Amino acid sequence: MTSRGTPSRFLRSVLQNGLGRYVCQLKRISIIFSKTHPSSLGVREYIEEGVVDYAKKNPGTVVYVSPQTSTVPKIVAEYLNGNVREEIVIRKTPQQISELFTKLTSQSGLDIIRIRKPNHTDSPSIQGQWHPFTNRPPSIGPIKPQKQLNQS
Amino acid sequence: MASGYILNRGALTLKSHCQRVFRNVSLSQVREKKRWMKAYTHIMAKKLKLEGPPPPKPRSQQPLWDYHAEVQAFSNRLHESFSLELLKIAFINPCYLQVEQERRKGLGINSETTALLLKDNMQLSAKGADFTKSFLNDWCRASFPSLPSKGVESIVGHLTSSAVVTYVARNLGIEDLTMSGEFPVPDDVLHSTFMAMIGALQESSGAERAGFFLRDFLVTQLLGKDLFDMWTVVNPMGILVEELTKRNVPLPEPRLIRSAGASTVLPLYFVGLYSDKKLLAQGPGETLLAAEEEAARVALRKIYGFSENRRPFDFSPQQQHQQPLFQSVSSN
Repeated sequence: MTSRGTPSRFLRSVLQNGLGRYVCQLKRISIIFSKTHPSSLGVREYIEEGVVDYAKKNPGTVVYVSPQTSTVPKIVAEYLNGNVREEIVIRKTPQQISELFTKLTSQSGLDIIRIRKPNHTDSPSIQGQWHPFTNRPPSIGPIKPQKQLNQS
Repeated sequence: MASGYILNRGALTLKSHCQRVFRNVSLSQVREKKRWMKAYTHIMAKKLKLEGPPPPKPRSQQPLWDYHAEVQAFSNRLHESFSLELLKIAFINPCYLQVEQERRKGLGINSETTALLLKDNMQLSAKGADFTKSFLNDWCRASFPSLPSKGVESIVGHLTSSAVVTYVARNLGIEDLTMSGEFPVPDDVLHSTFMAMIGALQESSGAERAGFFLRDFLVTQLLGKDLFDMWTVVNPMGILVEELTKRNVPLPEPRLIRSAGASTVLPLYFVGLYSDKKLLAQGPGETLLAAEEEAARVALRKIYGFSENRRPFDFSPQQQHQQPLFQSVSSN
């Protein structure tokens, strides 16, 4: 779809994160998997090896591990601003899952949609925003519409 | 009939799967196209259209929730070391205690044998609110020394208002942890929970750390805000005259500097305020009076140091405050 048909937002951070102190925006991450089905093999290996290290490195995120029969294996990430992201991890290797975890940890919870501008500032002008009267000596006179030179 | 009997005998050959759970009980799953599914989905869709979506449930009543772990993670996430008991008390609101008592009475639980031994957060909340007000007042006066007390009050009032505090609280994940009587948590309950959390932080880690916390989360909400968004001033020219008389500067005289489109629908006038023939400030407006008022506001912003190009606030992390101590020790 076109950019006008799809939603878009401006570049921003949640609660000016990083200005004062950096707060990891991921508040809880839940791993839902099946104990026997082969599609959650990678998830089960990751839970055996990598998830405890991840939880120790990120003390601000609660990690829930929930085995459920006959489910599609997925990872549900909840962020501080209330957004919830679900990622389906059918037949992924433990390395891919740990990369996915780092990706989810470093995201802010804002929507993944088109960002209109790659920059944002709260103080757009230091010397004062230009307007047609800036640096215009008053001796010139007021701003008037220009007379057309070619009059047909 | 005979055909029905043959069909039953041949059940294992069709797509239905018979699972033997115990010796005499078997659960049968039908894996083929379910004929009741379409009618069921239509009825559920009609019910949704009639009654609207189901009411939201608090996160603590949804699956996968561990309160103790969540409270610990909350404390770690903010890089603060809260005392967990105080923090848990800070999240308990009196409305929750009332609702809990009524629920227990309704269930017929004897209140003598199983008493509800929970303290609520009223004291902590009052303490936190006082500390917040005093810290924000001190911070305002330190950052804007020439701002009068009415201006300071309005800035502090804006920062401690329900709107700003509940916005900050919702984006810090406090709403999930609050124990309140209603869901979604009402604004005043969330406000008092936030203040109680500040009180708990002050008691656990001291006033300095609580001050840094407030600076990092409440003061950052001032970014991008104009002074007169928070402080409604009816007569800026009068206040400007008072300020200038205090500093023994001659009174301002308004003069028209620029004009454009005076006879059109959107005229533009720039009025400058001169004290002793030196330009104080100039401001634009659609009419001469509006331009003069705007010029007075610009002059006040310059005097109080609240212009857009002022030096940014200092949000440097706390370690930099501790480093000078180490340097002085090592030099000796």
